[in-house]
Amino acid sequence: MKTNKILASLFLTALAVPFFTSCDPKGEITQTPTISSGVFVLNEGKYNSNNASLTYYDFATSFASADLFLDKNNRGLGDTGQDMIKYGSNLYIAVYKSSLIEVVNANTGVSIKSIPMKNASNAPSSPRTLTAANGKVYIVLYDGHVTQLDTTSLTLGSTISVGANPDASVISNNKLYVANTGGMATVMDSTISVINLSTFAEEKRIKVNLNPAAIKADSYGDIYVVSNGNYGSVPGKFQRIEAVTNKVTDINLAVKNFEIYGDKAYIYNFTYDANWQATNKTIAVYDVKNEQLVSANIVTSTIDKTPYCIDVDPTTNDIYLGVTDYVNNGKMYCFDNNGTLKFTFTTGINPNKVVFITK
Amino acid sequence: MKADSVPRINLHEVVVNGHQLQAGRAPLPLQIISNKELTTLNAENVADIAKHFAGVTVKDYGGIGGLRTVSIRGLGALHTGVSYDGIMMSDVQSGQIDLSRFSIENIAEVTLSNGQPNTLLQPARMFSYSSVLSFSTKIAEYDEKHTISGNISAKAGSFGMINPMINICKNISRKWAVSLSVNGLTANGEYKFLSNLNTLGENMVEKNRINTDVHSIRTEINSTCEFNPFEYINLKVSQNYSERGLPGSDTYYLSYATDRLSDRNYLTQVQYQNRKNCYFQYQFSGKFNNSSMIFTEQSPNYSADIDHTHIDNYAQNEYYLTSVFQFYPTHNFTFSTSVDWWYNNLFSHSNLNFRQDAAPTRHSGLANVVAKYTTNQLTLSANLLYTLTRETNQTGAAPNRDKLSPTVCMSYKPFDDKKLRIRAFYKNIFRLPTFNDLYYHDFGYTNLKPEITNQYNAGMTYFETGIPFLSKFECSVDAYYNQVKEKISIVYGMPFSSVRNIGRVDIKGCDVNLKLSKKLNNSTIRLSANYTLQLAQDYSSVSDTYLDIIPYTPIHSGSGSISCQCGIWECGYNYLFSGKRYSGQNSNSQNILKPYLDHSLFGRLSIKKLSLQVEVLNLTNLNYEIVQYYPMPGRNYRITLSYKF
Repeated sequence: MKTNKILASLFLTALAVPFFTSCDPKGEITQTPTISSGVFVLNEGKYNSNNASLTYYDFATSFASADLFLDKNNRGLGDTGQDMIKYGSNLYIAVYKSSLIEVVNANTGVSIKSIPMKNASNAPSSPRTLTAANGKVYIVLYDGHVTQLDTTSLTLGSTISVGANPDASVISNNKLYVANTGGMATVMDSTISVINLSTFAEEKRIKVNLNPAAIKADSYGDIYVVSNGNYGSVPGKFQRIEAVTNKVTDINLAVKNFEIYGDKAYIYNFTYDANWQATNKTIAVYDVKNEQLVSANIVTSTIDKTPYCIDVDPTTNDIYLGVTDYVNNGKMYCFDNNGTLKFTFTTGINPNKVVFITK
Repeated sequence: MKADSVPRINLHEVVVNGHQLQAGRAPLPLQIISNKELTTLNAENVADIAKHFAGVTVKDYGGIGGLRTVSIRGLGALHTGVSYDGIMMSDVQSGQIDLSRFSIENIAEVTLSNGQPNTLLQPARMFSYSSVLSFSTKIAEYDEKHTISGNISAKAGSFGMINPMINICKNISRKWAVSLSVNGLTANGEYKFLSNLNTLGENMVEKNRINTDVHSIRTEINSTCEFNPFEYINLKVSQNYSERGLPGSDTYYLSYATDRLSDRNYLTQVQYQNRKNCYFQYQFSGKFNNSSMIFTEQSPNYSADIDHTHIDNYAQNEYYLTSVFQFYPTHNFTFSTSVDWWYNNLFSHSNLNFRQDAAPTRHSGLANVVAKYTTNQLTLSANLLYTLTRETNQTGAAPNRDKLSPTVCMSYKPFDDKKLRIRAFYKNIFRLPTFNDLYYHDFGYTNLKPEITNQYNAGMTYFETGIPFLSKFECSVDAYYNQVKEKISIVYGMPFSSVRNIGRVDIKGCDVNLKLSKKLNNSTIRLSANYTLQLAQDYSSVSDTYLDIIPYTPIHSGSGSISCQCGIWECGYNYLFSGKRYSGQNSNSQNILKPYLDHSLFGRLSIKKLSLQVEVLNLTNLNYEIVQYYPMPGRNYRITLSYKF
């Protein structure tokens, strides 16, 4: 009798165990974590699917928490998370289709303010990329404008016009450089708008190749631009805009996207095979001081799926490469500065920006 | 000896008790909803009727002007043929027919056939789809005293809907009748719904469905000329114009929608059938169809375009001819052969100049031979369909295609005294890639192969009219295994996605159908129910979602209906239910769409020539969606007043 009772209670406990452990079919942790040292990944989600999300990867526990924003705020991030920056103690997230800026406390993951981006007729102005300087966050809007957010009062300031469908942006020497893609225009654009941050006025437009998509600055005042052309007769290019002279030169390198940290530009590239699958995935390193290629590919490990973003950890110089299949959860690879794989973790759909948190 | 003056009666064609018995004997599963039953299902259009068939998944995007497409047994909407009065409809651009524009007011019958319709005297095109949904218009009965008959009705309801209709039929002579029907619809389509901001929990926000108005007018003229009971010629001319807002999917934290769609459709079809000869019968038909569509989208993001608007223009034409010949050498054997030819073209133009204009064309030819052997107990049938296509396009056309597709089926009655029949069929058929699949802007891929289906079915039917207590008892159960091979699936990439034949789907399922009716003195009680159990899984060889369930295919689904007619009163209750399904390719918690149960009621009073009907739909005001982020309306009402003359 006694053994039966023991067996029965053991059996019942065994049955109860699944109810007390977090159970997720894909093996991710879904409890609410404490935010310490680690990285935030902004997952764009699928356009028109309301599934932009935030992943938090903790260095100490090596666990990736999916849907951190949903966890902490009881609501989704919105539709198409386009860009994220950390400025001061806050994260600023541009949600493109929902047309809003989320201001999130980087220590707690709780939203401080949700700012809808609307034009004068109350139609969505659709924020794309964010940069910050002098207590302001500069928001590039796909309807052809740039506006500013005061980070103390969290209110929007004045708005200026730039070219058609501006997207990527970068600040260098008190100027904001904005790439005008013209992606939804009858003819694509090929200019970079230069905005003087003291006057918050557009100074000039620099002509580059058709459809400029990514733009970064080095510490020597040079601006680097990746353009995609028209995906047909006009090919894409990798170009440099020289500091001071604003002279545009072509660099003979195939670049899909890149990040600059210190004296190096970390570039990822790939090509499509006949079945529309990504192949020949590489991470190249280009020296921006000596203006020459250091290595055509530093990575030897296999990279799954399709590369979607690249970021560099300012503390460790590690390279983070996000990959996606556009439909399912993506993956983040962490390589050290020599290209050796350190670790990977699962992200949400379309990971497109990594922000580093150190405590 | 005096020559026999009594004309020979074609015994094969005498149909007792209408089509219902035919459904019981049919080797290929067949479901019919006709006449009186059509008006008891709280249905407005053919898509609403389709929801009451077993094995059907109707993808309903919600709202009055919303798109509704019909997928049968997990094969996908592009494999469903839609036939109107015996001639196949088509849209070569998208491959889908929007069934919401066919009001049931002047429809006599809607039939769902798995495989193909069972009759042999039909065009080859009826054999060229995995399943066929057919519907036919009402034909006025000849009445000596009243050469003009018809009905006028006005319907009004929620969403600011007003729907006037008129149907007039004139008997020009004993043999010739012409009818005209006009159907107008206007509605603002707006309704409140709850948007759930937390997909893993619940955080509801009330929003308004906007930009969802619809205005349309549909006119149709039918002329039926019966030279004698076995020879007729029918002509149809119809036009349809509609302009509507497209509310789009719900986006969190945003209420903005400006997409508009206007479409115009002209259709002309003629059919001549001759069955005078006992041994040899034939039919010729022709059709011309022209559709044009203008899609506009206004957004601040089109800052560099006129009026901030993006405009897409499409126009397509189809010319179609078919002839079929049927032979009865002995009373057990029937043979039939049919030849079809049609030509499609499409013009597309966008105001975004970097998108090229496209003007693809396609010639399609079909040749079909069928043989059928029938006895009292056994029916055996087989057909072989030959398809050829030839296409052209300025920037490169799809390769020429030639394919052979067989079907075999049988039906057997094991016991003489019991009306039980067992049946089985195998069908191999394919669907051609649509013009969107092949040529759409930067997305299409001209080297796409056709998508192939194999269907295996075994089942039994029991159709009885002479049971004590019940006037009619019909029951059928079918178990099936379907495969979709070379499935055309989207392959994602940046900046453009494309399509390739990389998918494969395996479907195992079972459809159960039950219909009962009872007549008592002055009243009739009808009851029908169906249930489908279906497992549709991804069997693609290179896939992260191997064995996951295909999006939008619930494991459990079904519907039911009970109605009672008593003298001048009629009332009824209907329900539709669907178990949980997944909105994405991964069968995980993020993609689950909750199960739903939609109830509706109607009541009707008919006094002499007037009738008044009141309907309540979604009785429990359930907030649900069939397609993710396209909310269905809550409780809503319709009232219809009609006058029959």
